[in-house]
Amino acid sequence: MTPKQFENDHGPSWQRLEGMIEQVEKAKPVANVDELPKLFRQACHDLSLAQHRMFGRAIVERLNTLAISGFRVLERRSSGGWERLWQMMMQDFPRAVRAESRLFWFCSAVFWLPFFAFLIITPFDPEWTMSMLGTEGMISMEGMYGEGTNPREYMRGEYGSDFGMFAFYIWNNVSINLRTFAGGLLGGVGSLVILLFNGAYFGSAAAYVNHACNPETFYCFVIGHGAPELLGIVISGMAGMRLGLSFVKPGAYDRKTALVLGGRKAMILITGAALMTAFAAIIEGFWSATPMEPWIKYTFGGCMWTATICYLLLCGRERHEA
Amino acid sequence: MPTALADTLESVELADGVQIHLRVAGPAARSVAWLIDILIFIAIIFILSMVIGLLSSLLIGEEVGNGLLMLAMFILNWFYNVFFEMSAKAATPGQRHMGLKVVSVSGGPVRLPQSMIRNVLRVVDFMPGAYLFGLTCCLCTSRFQRLGDLVADTVVVYADKPMHEGSAIQVNADPMPPPLPLNREEQAAMLQFLERSPRWSDARKMELSDVLEPLTKRRGMGGLLDTVRMALWLQTGGGGKGGRA
Repeated sequence: MTPKQFENDHGPSWQRLEGMIEQVEKAKPVANVDELPKLFRQACHDLSLAQHRMFGRAIVERLNTLAISGFRVLERRSSGGWERLWQMMMQDFPRAVRAESRLFWFCSAVFWLPFFAFLIITPFDPEWTMSMLGTEGMISMEGMYGEGTNPREYMRGEYGSDFGMFAFYIWNNVSINLRTFAGGLLGGVGSLVILLFNGAYFGSAAAYVNHACNPETFYCFVIGHGAPELLGIVISGMAGMRLGLSFVKPGAYDRKTALVLGGRKAMILITGAALMTAFAAIIEGFWSATPMEPWIKYTFGGCMWTATICYLLLCGRERHEA
Repeated sequence: MPTALADTLESVELADGVQIHLRVAGPAARSVAWLIDILIFIAIIFILSMVIGLLSSLLIGEEVGNGLLMLAMFILNWFYNVFFEMSAKAATPGQRHMGLKVVSVSGGPVRLPQSMIRNVLRVVDFMPGAYLFGLTCCLCTSRFQRLGDLVADTVVVYADKPMHEGSAIQVNADPMPPPLPLNREEQAAMLQFLERSPRWSDARKMELSDVLEPLTKRRGMGGLLDTVRMALWLQTGGGGKGGRA
């Protein structure tokens, strides 16, 4: 059989398939669309045949294009949208965190150790904290939590409105999460550095407030959004470490496959962490700075911590997991 | 087809058992696409800040305006590419201009998690500056994948050409059977010569047909004519006049 005959024999069915794919991609209703898989398989068969018989570039390339676009059309899946997101947040994400419990404790340690180190050392030797915060950091801490001021007025001055504060927290904090995750690709080092630095920075901020400002204002401000925000940082560190570890310690897979598989797991962790941080930003922007009796703040904060921990521990739990 | 090592065709086996060839795009085309995207990105930011500036002076107040702008920056910064990659064309405006698009290594369309991974990891590819890590990684992998592509299991390929190629060129020559039986590879080479020769200069055509001197016993224009006639004979299966080239 010559290429010409081959093209004459099968051309009409290729043409039908081409037309169908074009219409399906334009999301138009297509007549006889149930024939598409059959035509696609026939085209794949023809492509193999044309490749084997070396029927020349024009035919092979036409069939190659047809096979690629046909595959794309047939393999198209609807992503599931909001329902899928809900399922991820209520099941997959807490499960993924629990499945990596050792990594969770490790990242928590990396974050909390410098935090408490600064908290403990500052009463004896405030130099460390001061150099960590820098002059500007100290001024803004005093502006927010010093005697006779409150965070709301300071932040209002800085960002204008609750909404402005919320937007700033989203922009700043979620970006930090995503960078923590990305830094994990450098063998986990990037994530560790960001975790350590954030632990040290938060620790020195808290220590400086204890040392020089009004601690009650500070703790009233941070207690409400602290749980999702701090755990969000730790979990984005986990996501980065998952990525880094699958490169450093690929286990049974080759490095590339391990990275792809690790990336999928890490993606669930970082999406969850980013959403937790975004949630924290809502609280931080619209609730935390609102002046209220301290006991209300502390009760709310306690509830938030309990709820966040319960969410991570219990959500999407399977029976056998107990 | 004998495997050629020096081209950018990436052969992938589909679930249906057939091999397809993805035409992987290199760093040069992708850099140009990126530059175009950056310009568009800056234009969007510029227009947005104008609109929000106008809105905030009239309606919502400067504070809310600043907040909106910050949110918009956040979304654009991290999700500009994701948004366009999830569209039907699977390409950002810059990539579309260069005829590129993002696909999964399996040949299927790129999915949302893949797109998010490859674009969040862009930060690492950019390090230590000017996409140095990404470029190095691109040049070290056979599919020109940057780090983000490796983790997300994606490649940037040339989008399919429009399905109907340009008009066929008619060659006016009588088919002539080759004096010897040709094997499969030789026949394929002749057919490819016929298909591709209209794009070459006469000198180049003759240079190649001169290689066939043992077969045609002639050089120059005569040899070229005989080569074309033999190829036509092969293409039409020994009958008919003229062929599609």
